[in-house]
Amino acid sequence: MAVTRYTSMAYDSADDMVFGFAKKPVSYGFGLKIGAGYVIPEINYAPRPGTEKDPAKLRKEYVDYITKDVLDRAVTVGFPNVQLETEWVSQMNQAKLSAPVVEGQKEMCEKYHEEYGVNCGTRQTIPDQREADHGLRTGMDAAHQYPEKLFECAEIACENGADNLSCETVGGKEFADYAVTNGDIIAFLFGVGYLGSIDMTYVWQEFSEIAKKNMCVAGGDTNCSGANVAMFMAGGMMDQDVQKTFSAVTRAISAARTLAAWESGAMGPDKDCGYEGPIVKAIAGKPCAQEGKNCQCAHCDLQGNLIAQCCDLWSNESVEYHPEFGGSSVQCWFGSIGYESALMNTAIQLKQEKTLRDLYMYTDRTRGPEAYVLAYDHAYEIGKVIAQDGNDLYLRAKNAGLKAAYILLKGYESKELGLTAKQLDTLQDINKKLSALPDDADKFVDYAIKEFKDTVPNFNMKNYDL
Amino acid sequence: MLSCEGADFTKVLKRYDIEQQVVLSPEEMARKMLPSDEIFRKVAEEVLYMRFRTVGPVVMEALKQRNPLDIINNGLVAGMECVAKLYAEHVYYLPEIMMAAKTMEIGIALAEKQVPGGRESKGTVIMHAAEGDPHDIGKNIAAVMVRSSGYNVIDMGRDVPIVDFIAKVEEEKPIFASGTALMTTTMSAFPTEAKILKEKGIEIPLMGCGGAVNREFANSYDLGIYSEKAPQTPLIAEKIRQGYDWKRIREEWDEIVKGE
Repeated sequence: MAVTRYTSMAYDSADDMVFGFAKKPVSYGFGLKIGAGYVIPEINYAPRPGTEKDPAKLRKEYVDYITKDVLDRAVTVGFPNVQLETEWVSQMNQAKLSAPVVEGQKEMCEKYHEEYGVNCGTRQTIPDQREADHGLRTGMDAAHQYPEKLFECAEIACENGADNLSCETVGGKEFADYAVTNGDIIAFLFGVGYLGSIDMTYVWQEFSEIAKKNMCVAGGDTNCSGANVAMFMAGGMMDQDVQKTFSAVTRAISAARTLAAWESGAMGPDKDCGYEGPIVKAIAGKPCAQEGKNCQCAHCDLQGNLIAQCCDLWSNESVEYHPEFGGSSVQCWFGSIGYESALMNTAIQLKQEKTLRDLYMYTDRTRGPEAYVLAYDHAYEIGKVIAQDGNDLYLRAKNAGLKAAYILLKGYESKELGLTAKQLDTLQDINKKLSALPDDADKFVDYAIKEFKDTVPNFNMKNYDL
Repeated sequence: MLSCEGADFTKVLKRYDIEQQVVLSPEEMARKMLPSDEIFRKVAEEVLYMRFRTVGPVVMEALKQRNPLDIINNGLVAGMECVAKLYAEHVYYLPEIMMAAKTMEIGIALAEKQVPGGRESKGTVIMHAAEGDPHDIGKNIAAVMVRSSGYNVIDMGRDVPIVDFIAKVEEEKPIFASGTALMTTTMSAFPTEAKILKEKGIEIPLMGCGGAVNREFANSYDLGIYSEKAPQTPLIAEKIRQGYDWKRIREEWDEIVKGE
C-alpha cells in the first residue's frame, strides 16, 4: 500500500471540529457509518480468566454471552448503533481460538441487524506481541516468530469477518519505557516520534493490503504503549511518578506516530485509547474513537469529559465480563456509553453540538497539562505543526513536542493553567532540550544512536531497517 | 468557542497537586539526612544528586581513606536512602529514583571489587512478567527499587514460560519471587506456578503484581502475596528477610505497606 504523508489540515479551523462528524466518514459492518453525523458507542470487554484455555469456551464467552448481552441491551434501551471491539487476548494468535470468535460475532451482529435493525459491527484488535530484543521485523524472531504471527492474526481477523481491523502496535516501546522511567524526552522523541513512525508505516502498509483484499476496513492504531504509559504513571492529582507536563508533551509527539497508520492506508476510526485522537483527526479528517469518563471500569484520567469533544465513537476502554446488579458488566458499561452518545446525538439534532463540545472541553481544560494540550483549539495547533513538516518523520514529531511545550508555557504565563514547581521545572527542561535539537533528521539520528545505544535496553536499529 | 468570562472554575475542579505541593528543595530536605562524615557525605551526595558520570572518581578517591564496605553502606546506600525519603515526600519522582539507583550501582560495582569475597546481599529475589505478557515496565521499576535495597535481583524479563520460571527458582533458591501481569488472561500463570512450587515443597512467597492483579486474586492461592505498587516491594522484602512467611505477610500486609 502506498504511503501518503499529510502535509495540510483536513479542517480549516479548530472550531469546525466537533463530535460525530468527520471529514471522511467510514462505513462498514451492518449499517454502521462512523463520523457521519452521530456518535456511536463502542463497547470493549475482556473474557473471564480461564476461558482462553478452550476454543469452545472462549467462543461461547465472546459470542453467546458478551455479544448477545450487548445487542440485547441495545434493543432493550433503544440504542440504534453499536460497535463491538474485541481486543484479542494473546492466546488468540492461534486461529483455532480466534477464528470462531470473529466468525461468531459477525453472525450474531447479522442476526440482530436483520431481526431488530440494530446497526452494528465489530472491530477486531489483534495483539502485537513483538519484542524488541528478539526482533520487530519478519525473519528476525527465531524464538517466537511474533512478527509473522502479527500478520497472520490480521489475516485470520479479516478472513473471518472483522469489520474493522485495528492494532496497538509496539514499535518504539523499548525507547518509550526507558524515556518514561528516566524522564528523557529525547529518547521518547527518537523512539516513538521517529522509530515508532517507521515501524507503524511498515506494519500498516501490510495490514491495509490484508484488509483490502478481504473487504475489511483497516481502522487504525494508538500510542497506548508509550504516551498512555506516561499518562498512567503521571496518574491522578497526587501521584506524579512521572511529571504531567512530561506526559502532555509525549502525547503530542505520539500524534505524529499514530498518524502514520492512516498515511499507510488505514481509513479510521483509530483506537479508543489513543488520547491523541483530536490532533490526528484535525490533520486527517478521519473518524476517531475516544474514551474518558465512561471508561472508569478500566482507568481514570484527567480529561474524562474533554476528550469527548471531537469523538466519533465513544468507548468504555475495557471491562472484564462478570455479573453486576444491573446486568452483565458489558451491559452496564454499554448503557453508560450509550446514554452519553445519546446526549451528544441529541445535541447534534438540536444544533447544540458546539455548545456541548465546549462544555465538555471547559470542564477539564485546566484539570491538568495533558487535558490542556488536548483541548481542541490546542490540538489543532499541534496538528498544524505536524502537517507543516509532514514528510519528515523526525521534524514533525519534534515540532509537535515543542508546540505542546510552548502551549503549556504560554498557558502557565497567562495564568490560565496552573503548574506545580516540579511540573514547571520539567517543562522548562523539555523545552530547552527540544529547542537545542537540530532540524536535520540525519544529524538527529546520528546523535540519538550515539546517545542511546548503550543506555536503552534492547537497542537494535535493525528493528527499524536502519 | 463559548466564552468562559466570569466563570469560576474552582467550583468545577480543584488542583490538589498545586495546593499540596512540597516546596522544599532536595538540598534543604537532605541536609539533615546525609552522613556527617565528610567522605561518606560526599559519596552519598553523588547518589542524591544523581551524578552518574562522576560517582566513579569520587568513590575511587574515598576508597583511599575508607574501607569499601563502609563506603557502600554509609555512603552509597545512605545516599539512596535519602533519595527514597525524598521520593516518599514527593520531592523526588520516578526518574530521580532510576538515575540515583544507576549512580549507586556504578559506585557499588567499583567498591565491591575491593571487598574480599564480594559483598553479601540481603538475599536473592527472582522477578518475571507472566508467560504471554509483554508488559514489564512495572517489574523493571520494582527491580530497581529492590536492587537498591540491597537484594540480588534476578530479572527473567517478560513473557517467561512457567517451566523456565520454576527451573530458575529451583536453581537460585530465592527468598521470594514476584510476577507481574497486565492481562487477566496471563495472570493465571501465578496460581499455576504457586501450585507447582508447593508440590515441589518450595514454600517461598510468590508475589503477584501488575495492572490486572488485585489483592483478592493474589491472596486466592497458597504462596500468593500482593504488592500494589513498586515502592511497596522492598518493604515486603524486608519482612520476608526477617522470616515472615506468605501467610504472615498477608495478615500484616496493611501494616507492612502503610504509607506507600
